[in-house]
Amino acid sequence: MCRPFADSSSKAELMSRRKQNKDMLSRMHSQHAQDSQNDQMQTGSFPVVKRKAKGIRTPNPIRARMTTSILIVILCAFLGFGYAIQLNNPTSSYETMSEEELTRLLSETSTQVQSLEQRKGELTSQLNSLKAAANKQQEAERIAKENEQTSGILSGRLPAAGEGVIISISQGSKDRIDASTMFQLIEELRNAGVEVMAINNVRVVTSTYVSDTEDGLECDGQILDPPYTVKAIGDPQNLQNAVNIAGGVGSRLKVKFGANVRVSVPDKVTIGEIHQSRQYRYAKTVE
Amino acid sequence: MAAVLGLIIGVVIGIFVQPDIPVVLQPYLPIMVVAALDALLGAARSYFERSFSDRVFVISFVSNVLTATLLVLLGNQLGVGSQLQTAVIVVLGIRIFSNVSAIRRFIFQS
Repeated sequence: MCRPFADSSSKAELMSRRKQNKDMLSRMHSQHAQDSQNDQMQTGSFPVVKRKAKGIRTPNPIRARMTTSILIVILCAFLGFGYAIQLNNPTSSYETMSEEELTRLLSETSTQVQSLEQRKGELTSQLNSLKAAANKQQEAERIAKENEQTSGILSGRLPAAGEGVIISISQGSKDRIDASTMFQLIEELRNAGVEVMAINNVRVVTSTYVSDTEDGLECDGQILDPPYTVKAIGDPQNLQNAVNIAGGVGSRLKVKFGANVRVSVPDKVTIGEIHQSRQYRYAKTVE
Repeated sequence: MAAVLGLIIGVVIGIFVQPDIPVVLQPYLPIMVVAALDALLGAARSYFERSFSDRVFVISFVSNVLTATLLVLLGNQLGVGSQLQTAVIVVLGIRIFSNVSAIRRFIFQS
């Protein structure tokens, strides 16, 4: 805006100067002055066109303000509306996801599932091993109990009852019954498969001995007084046969010693005698 | 005053009406909301600068929303939808912050 005015003023000045002195030096000087003035001119900034003061406005100011307010209300309502909707449906986020996002999500989920499956497998195997160990322990306990029972009966530590025979042998009328015959009777019964046996009140175990003394028969340190009662648990028929067989121990007792041998077969023979287990001094179990 | 009233009305309508937004429009709704918020804050700033014009407000509101939506749509078609969405959000966030700081200056320095 101001540039043409400046140009015209400088031109007028130049003209007047030309009229005054027309020599070369002064012309060059004036040219240089003009150039330097032009160089100082601000370029590159555009003049700002101011908007017209109030634009086109409706003449009624109340109506204009009402319109503005209504517009603001409507637009803000749109904004709040969108905001509320966006708040209310966070569940439908999968629908709006892009394909790669869904793929990533899927692979992440499947990886997670895999690791969880692996963990589950580990835990299941752990549980199984624990169960197996518990079963094993239970089994061991059961076997130990069984063993305890069996060895208890075998060693005479436990009383026993069951099918069997009771053999009553009276005092020999011809001779005293000697230890070898009594031991033969025990052996015969053992051969017949006796399981538990007792003479009078002495439990017969593997270490039981019978010996002759002046007072009569001695069995495991106890004197046996006639009549002898032998209780035996086992198959009754076999035991009966073992005693009564022709030429066996029964007939020997009858013939040689004149004793009266009677074999009775009750429903149940109870052997309450027990044998005190001994402490082993020399024998040790092999680990 | 009118802005706060309009916001309350819109939120209440949005909560109670529960309209079905078409699936096509759903990814653009958050962008639209942010763009509209930017326009609203710009209007508030111009109000404090005493140069508020209702026409400018309406046009900036609509153009903000449309530009943001179209940009994200373009990004979706080009396969960079999520990145462009982030870019738009960032730019709008910066504008919102600058507008808010301008408003704050007007409130606390005048």
